[in-house]
Amino acid sequence: MTSQAAIALSSLTKEFKDNRAVDSLDISIQPGELFGLVGPDGAGKTTTLRLLAGLLDITEGEATIAGLDLAAETEKIKSHIGYMAQEFSMYAELSVEENLLFFAELYDVPVEHIQARKERLLEFAGLTEFKERRAAHLSGGMQKKLALACTLIHEPQILLLDEPTTGVDPVSRREFWNILTELHINGTTIIVSTPYMDEADRCSRVGLMYAGRLIVCASPQEIRQRVEGEMIELRPEDWQSARVLVAELPGVLEVQNYGERLHLLVDSAEKRLPEIETVLRSKKASYRSIRPAPTGMEEAFISLIKRMED
Amino acid sequence: MSLRHLWAVTRKEIQHIIRDRSTLVIVFLTPFLLLFVFAYSLTVEIKHVPIAVLDFDRSETSRQFVQRITAGDDLELYAQVAALEEIEDLLLRGKIKAALIIHPDFSRQVLSGSGMPMQIIIDGTEPESGAFALDNMASRAEEFIENIFADQLVALSVPAEALKPIDLRISTWYNPSLKPRVDLIPGLISMVLGLPALSVALTLAHEREHGTLEQLMATPIGRTELLVGKMLPYIFVGMINAIIIPTFAIVWFRIPFNGNFFLFLGLTAIFLFAILAMGIIIGVFMRTQAAALAVSFLLIFFPGFFLTGIFFPIAAMPEIMRLESLGLPGTHYAIITRGLFLTGVGLDVLWPYSVMLFGLGLAFVGVAALFFKKKLG
Ligand SMILES: Nc1ncnc2c1ncn2[C@@H]1O[C@H](COP(=O)(O)OP(=O)(O)OP(=O)(O)O)[C@@H](O)[C@H]1O
Ligand SMILES: [Mg+2]
Repeated sequence: MTSQAAIALSSLTKEFKDNRAVDSLDISIQPGELFGLVGPDGAGKTTTLRLLAGLLDITEGEATIAGLDLAAETEKIKSHIGYMAQEFSMYAELSVEENLLFFAELYDVPVEHIQARKERLLEFAGLTEFKERRAAHLSGGMQKKLALACTLIHEPQILLLDEPTTGVDPVSRREFWNILTELHINGTTIIVSTPYMDEADRCSRVGLMYAGRLIVCASPQEIRQRVEGEMIELRPEDWQSARVLVAELPGVLEVQNYGERLHLLVDSAEKRLPEIETVLRSKKASYRSIRPAPTGMEEAFISLIKRMED
Repeated sequence: MSLRHLWAVTRKEIQHIIRDRSTLVIVFLTPFLLLFVFAYSLTVEIKHVPIAVLDFDRSETSRQFVQRITAGDDLELYAQVAALEEIEDLLLRGKIKAALIIHPDFSRQVLSGSGMPMQIIIDGTEPESGAFALDNMASRAEEFIENIFADQLVALSVPAEALKPIDLRISTWYNPSLKPRVDLIPGLISMVLGLPALSVALTLAHEREHGTLEQLMATPIGRTELLVGKMLPYIFVGMINAIIIPTFAIVWFRIPFNGNFFLFLGLTAIFLFAILAMGIIIGVFMRTQAAALAVSFLLIFFPGFFLTGIFFPIAAMPEIMRLESLGLPGTHYAIITRGLFLTGVGLDVLWPYSVMLFGLGLAFVGVAALFFKKKLG
């Protein structure tokens, strides 16, 4: 299985002076997978992707990308992958088209293919009408799409995207993911890091990193099932006092805040819901609604991370 | 080395220079500005140097001599004094930079052609003004003697044309009009033409700061392709400056250009290669633009000023600095520039300096490529 994996990591480790940013990662990613990398700030997502892009020296362990050894054939691997940095930036003084051309030349795209690919990618990214605009004058979302187009110009087999949608409005975010899905359907292997759980939900497999380690690596469905208990969604009038109240009740494993809403993880929703209602009424804590709800990715992750922290 | 990669980087860099106003201003305007500032400030400083005269002779001849010496606007008679103590006092208080003492025997010896007994004291704390005063007084003295001879010969009815081949001046022969600027400006030009090295030092740090370097390092571009690709546009820029600035200086400052201009351009290209490679080394090591700028000043600008012999003769430097100055492209290029502007020498004289420049350039590029890693952190 690992022999034909698009990316295979075995105890991949990166140490900086004072910390282990990536700690013994073992992952095998199959060709065509859409792999999501999630985890809190500082978990080591960027460091992992930079290692894979050949931008950092490996401290320990090995990685094979597209069948090539990462440490030995870094430069060769670079033409097989497309990497989009978290704090990417395009050349501000160059136009959209000129940025694309620049990367096409650096990736040795044959001259006769450049024009067609440029047009296709501009269309794909919805940038055709802005092709003469300077990158500096594009909106944040358009810049991200341009960056993606630039990493796609050499039609890489493997894409490494580091939080490509952070700071982008929801509409652009959806458009961006439609592009990724299309690439996924066409067989590109994609690793994407994201802070958004709805995005993680769209991946075929998700790896959760915490303090440099991979603590879970499974499909979104499996991850949700891993969380103990069931969920109840409560919308109290005064969430602060309600939170204190319900956290103490028997059977309540965890309380998470979502704005004014509280998500309660309980051992059994069927059994605990009436009990909670009774307590709230008796304490005169009014609420707008209370209902059982499916456990989402977000609750699952917060719960998994909390368990790590305890 | 892929020419396609090289050209991609070069073209991108040219587009950046042309479209980014501040870069455009820095590369084309600052050299002019600095040339002006230095040319004028250094000239003004050496105008109106105050001197004192102590005339023990008090003859018609000595009076004429003093008049002659202070006739231009370079030396100014601050005071006629009567005693040596006064001179000392004026020097100590900084009122004068030099003093001329005329011996009692002055007119007799001058008129008999047996000598010119006088003494010049200069302020050692300001050697430039002092030396300047000394030089000018010496050459005025020569002129003075020459005129007296000429008068005497005319009195002996020797035709004036017969005097032409006689030239008594021995020093400063390469700078016949004695305007200090003429001597300094070629050196200044050599310095300002090296300024694009500052910009090139900044471009790598600029890409590092803006995150474009990370994206660039993820591509299969070669290290030398990237570094040389970044230097090339500034060589073009430097060559444009190398045509405009000397032309302008020749017209505006009326300085001579006695050598071959094409040779000048060719050697300038080699110099640019060397100094830009020095800039790129700085870019390789410095993480931020601010740091790159500071270090450029330290390693390119200030040494270009003090160690290349433009203002301070290399011969007068301590050994260690003399060695250091040999490693600076500016030193060799200053000699080349002066040679071509003032004395008009050719490649037969200048080749060692040209070879040295080229060697330095290659070494610098080698060092830069060796230490530049396509890695972060
Ligand atoms: N160049 C570096 N030198 C030293 N420490 C570093 C370096 N880069 C990252 N780190 C540290 O490594 C850890 C992992 O950082 P990394 O950027 O990979 O996290 P991340 O998961 O991408 O976080 P975020 O979600 O904030 O982008 C952090 O503790 C960070 O401080
Ligand atoms: Mg990150």
